[in-house]
Amino acid sequence: MAETDRPTTNQFMSVEQYLETAESLKWLLTVAWLLPLLGFAVEIFGGYWGDRHNKVASYLAVGCIGTGFVCSLIALFTWGGATHWGHPEEAVAAAEHDHAHDEGHAHDDAHAHNDGHEHDEEHAHAEEHGPEHDDEHAHHVNDPYSAAFSGSYYMLGQFGDLTVSLDYYIDGLTIVMFCMVTLIATCIHVFAIGYMSDELTDDYEDHFVHLPGGKHFHRPGRFYRFFAYLSLFSFSMLGLVIAGNIFMVFVFWELVGVCSYLLIGFYVERKSASTAANKAFIMNRVGDFGFLIGLMILFTSFGTFRFANPHPTERAVEPGLFQMLRGEHGDLHIHGEGREAEVFLTTATGDHDKSIPYWLLVTAGLGIFAGCIGKSAQFPLQTWLPDAMEGPTPVSALVHSATMVAAGVYLAGRFYPMFTPEVLLVIAYVGCITLFIGATIAIVATDIKRVLAYSTISQLGYMMLALGVGGWVAGLFHLITHAFFKSLMFLCSGSVIHGCHHEQEMTRMGGLRKKMPITAYTMLVGVIAISGLAIPYLTFPFIGNIAFSGFYSKDEIVATALTHMSLNPVHFLLFLVPLVTAGITAFYMFRLWFMTFAGEPKDEHVYDHAHESPWVMTAPLLVLSFFAITVTWGMQIDEEGHLKPGYLVNALLTAEPAHVGEGLTEAGILGLSLPGHHAVHEYHATAGTAALIAAFAGLLISYLIYVNRAIDPAGIARQLSGTYNFLVEKWQFDNLYDAMFVRPVHIVARWPQAFDRNYLDGFLHALCRCAVWVSKWDRAFDERVVDRLVNLVGDVTFAVGRSLTVIQTGRLRQYVMFIAVGVVALFALMFVFMPTL
Amino acid sequence: MNEIALEGYLGIGALLFVCGVLCMATKRNGIGVLMGVELVLNGANVNFVAFSKFGTLGLDGQIASMFVIVLAAAEAAVALAIALNFYNNHLTIDVDRANELKG
Amino acid sequence: METLLFVLFGGTAAVGALAVVLSQNVVRMAFYLVISLGSTAGLFFMLGADFVGATQLLIYVGGTVVLLIFGVMLTASGPFITIKTAPSQVIIASVVGLAFFGVLFLTVLQVDWNANSARLESEYSASSLERIGYNEANVGNTARSLGAAFLGARFDEDLGRDRKELSSGYLLPFEIISVHLLVVLVGAAYLARAKRRVTRIEEE
Repeated sequence: MAETDRPTTNQFMSVEQYLETAESLKWLLTVAWLLPLLGFAVEIFGGYWGDRHNKVASYLAVGCIGTGFVCSLIALFTWGGATHWGHPEEAVAAAEHDHAHDEGHAHDDAHAHNDGHEHDEEHAHAEEHGPEHDDEHAHHVNDPYSAAFSGSYYMLGQFGDLTVSLDYYIDGLTIVMFCMVTLIATCIHVFAIGYMSDELTDDYEDHFVHLPGGKHFHRPGRFYRFFAYLSLFSFSMLGLVIAGNIFMVFVFWELVGVCSYLLIGFYVERKSASTAANKAFIMNRVGDFGFLIGLMILFTSFGTFRFANPHPTERAVEPGLFQMLRGEHGDLHIHGEGREAEVFLTTATGDHDKSIPYWLLVTAGLGIFAGCIGKSAQFPLQTWLPDAMEGPTPVSALVHSATMVAAGVYLAGRFYPMFTPEVLLVIAYVGCITLFIGATIAIVATDIKRVLAYSTISQLGYMMLALGVGGWVAGLFHLITHAFFKSLMFLCSGSVIHGCHHEQEMTRMGGLRKKMPITAYTMLVGVIAISGLAIPYLTFPFIGNIAFSGFYSKDEIVATALTHMSLNPVHFLLFLVPLVTAGITAFYMFRLWFMTFAGEPKDEHVYDHAHESPWVMTAPLLVLSFFAITVTWGMQIDEEGHLKPGYLVNALLTAEPAHVGEGLTEAGILGLSLPGHHAVHEYHATAGTAALIAAFAGLLISYLIYVNRAIDPAGIARQLSGTYNFLVEKWQFDNLYDAMFVRPVHIVARWPQAFDRNYLDGFLHALCRCAVWVSKWDRAFDERVVDRLVNLVGDVTFAVGRSLTVIQTGRLRQYVMFIAVGVVALFALMFVFMPTL
Repeated sequence: MNEIALEGYLGIGALLFVCGVLCMATKRNGIGVLMGVELVLNGANVNFVAFSKFGTLGLDGQIASMFVIVLAAAEAAVALAIALNFYNNHLTIDVDRANELKG
Repeated sequence: METLLFVLFGGTAAVGALAVVLSQNVVRMAFYLVISLGSTAGLFFMLGADFVGATQLLIYVGGTVVLLIFGVMLTASGPFITIKTAPSQVIIASVVGLAFFGVLFLTVLQVDWNANSARLESEYSASSLERIGYNEANVGNTARSLGAAFLGARFDEDLGRDRKELSSGYLLPFEIISVHLLVVLVGAAYLARAKRRVTRIEEE
């Protein structure tokens, strides 16, 4: 079945079934995508004209995104049913069963999934095949297009060769992202109902805006606007995920940017907020510049923006970007050496009549990745993210988990086939640097939200690193799991901030566990998840390992990195840094938790006024913590350290680009080797153990410092004051950029300014003076000549009329006399002057 | 008869016309003014009919005179009504008292 | 005979008109007017316009003058029977009137009417000599032709001629006149209606 001709049938389903699935998925996801837009439209107008006290806008927004989540969920199950959750072997079996007896199918399928015993057996089966994996891979090259559904909604326009259209591209990654985004967004929306409730007023006092005279700024509440922006944000992100061509991605990419701008600058009257919004927007523009360059290169060389052939059931009519670049087995067709190296493209005719220089492909990949750097706050554009904390906390949660920063990683994952090994190396190193920077700054940050922000940067670095070292699944897997626990933690911090009356400094908290237990323990779940703590090698029949989702995803990343190091010993940093950072992560996350929730209250005032948040805020926390634990359901590590993928990973695996699974050997100009799946399997146990040890070490240090107080943190800070200040100053990045860009720009700007002042202004002033002078003359002329003339005419008319009133006696008889005299006079004149006939 | 030519009738018409004009110009009585108008119209009428006989006007002259007579009757009716109204308002018929149109 | 009649009628009309001008008494003026208008009707008969003459008698002498006399009766209470005109005005008026009459009479005498009408005929009508419909034989019998002309048919112009297009009649002016008369009737009635308030005030 897997060997059959791909475009007509594929390894999962028949053509009819495929088309049917494609149609239902398309509509489900389209509804899920467009509902928030509808919500936005209604909220922004309805809210403007409506009452500022009611919560209708929020209910509408929650309804829209919630319905979107339901649709996505249905889509997920539709897709799962059609593709057998990414198990083609089962599909074959099921198909055979179908032929034999239809009624047994459902039972069999369910059985295969739910029965632990069956799982074990199956695993053993896989293990059997382990040694001769080469054969296995030859037969089971992952074909991402067989489970992908692509097509076009609407052709926007055609400009020569350029076709701009609204396309969709739906595969396992898309659907998983949809479910993740809608679920998290729903939770955040619900949370925001509680968090933003003080905006439900006609007169909101902003305590952070000080007006001259010691007063605070007052303005009408903007509850509805917040939810309208949230809806738009969700819409943009979903559009980005479902987009079927890179142009559409760019459009929604920018929309996401705009929404983040609006939301980060939600408290627009606060100087810091508007500055942060500007910063986020401008830094993103830097990356988007690269994105645009990549876009142009791709279009010039490929002639299309589409990801995949929009008619998958027919023989490639219009191959998309990925199909053109990668052959059947995901190989690049490189010809030539060195600078002359060219990559041949597969076009509709099947010939290699198009090609792209290899260096240009690398440039395009780097360009696209530049966009991802901006969006996902990677080094060197990471500085906007902490500043984005100026927005309301639900926004931070959304930006940091499901939407904004996820967009960058998502795009890097989506564009993976276009990246050459050189680009991947750059990605890996960028991720590596980012994760280390983020983690180290997080150690010294004291603002609860900023700690989380730096942790986000660090985790995004992990994702990028995973993608860079060839762990496609690992990176996106971490994206999903991280989204859950990071949004959870942000909402928890939001709950804390709300409960402590907008106190964000952790140094003034402490002991809040007793005051807000739900928040504290859901936060603990998130902390454990992000730290990757687990009790491995302890397998229960039904539950599996005692481990949260973060453990598995981080494990995958570290394992891939380790394998990568084993293949390319030169790049050993790519393993060591994430390993060490895993420990740092555990350290600063537990530091956060200990400082906030454990120990003694440091500020009595804050502690006394702290209170648990209402249910509308705690319920999302519970939901998210549940998912933070169980999103990796089905994953297991058995006694020998072999990892058994769960549903989530299987779903992602179906979308994995073809060339990833096997790995690469000595590829590209740098001769880089990328690990395949099997190679990673072999290092899993080692890497997992190392990461776990690091995490526990971090936890232990954190405990010693902040609970046991065996070590005095202030003392360390004093001893290492140089490093400490360096970290507090965020690696001097802001200062560096200030010195590198801002000040030079200021200096350069001074010259044009001087030119403006001295020359342009002078010229303009002279012009103005001329104009004024001319107008003065004109005015004088007007007043003295034109006006007088006009007045003269009027005066004469008036005088004549006045004098003629003498004749108008009103006497009838006189008039008759006038007529008679007139006639006589007229005739007399005629007789005198007219020539006789 | 040739000796009574067009000129005779035209002369009568002219006399009537001038009498009418003088009547209008001199009479202070509103009714007198109206009578002057009648005379003027009659003078014109004489001319019309005379031209209809001696000139090329033919029947058209008589038709014009018919219209003039009818219009004169109408004018007389309206003017008389105005005169009565004026009398009712001013309790006099002296047209010199009607000088509201004085500028 | 004709000269006699012309002198009689013309003289009466002229004297009557002068009498109207010269008389200061309204009632007498009305009487002289009747004489003048009646004589004019005689002139019309002499000119062969029997219907116009009859109409003149009926409408003017019988209708309009009676109307005027009614007016006199309604307004001429005591002091208004005679309203003297200032002598200076009379002098000015007579001078102007004489000049006016001079102008008119001079015009009448100076113009060569026969040559003028011949010229007009040569300009407007090719067959100037042939005048059907109004000639000596039909003198004194214009009523039918006039009536037909008012209804739009021109027997006098079109009978016995070989012409494609017909001459224009006076149906439309006739209708307009009739409507005009109606309007005048209504208007006069409205203007002359008794104003109750005024009378009541006077009674009180």
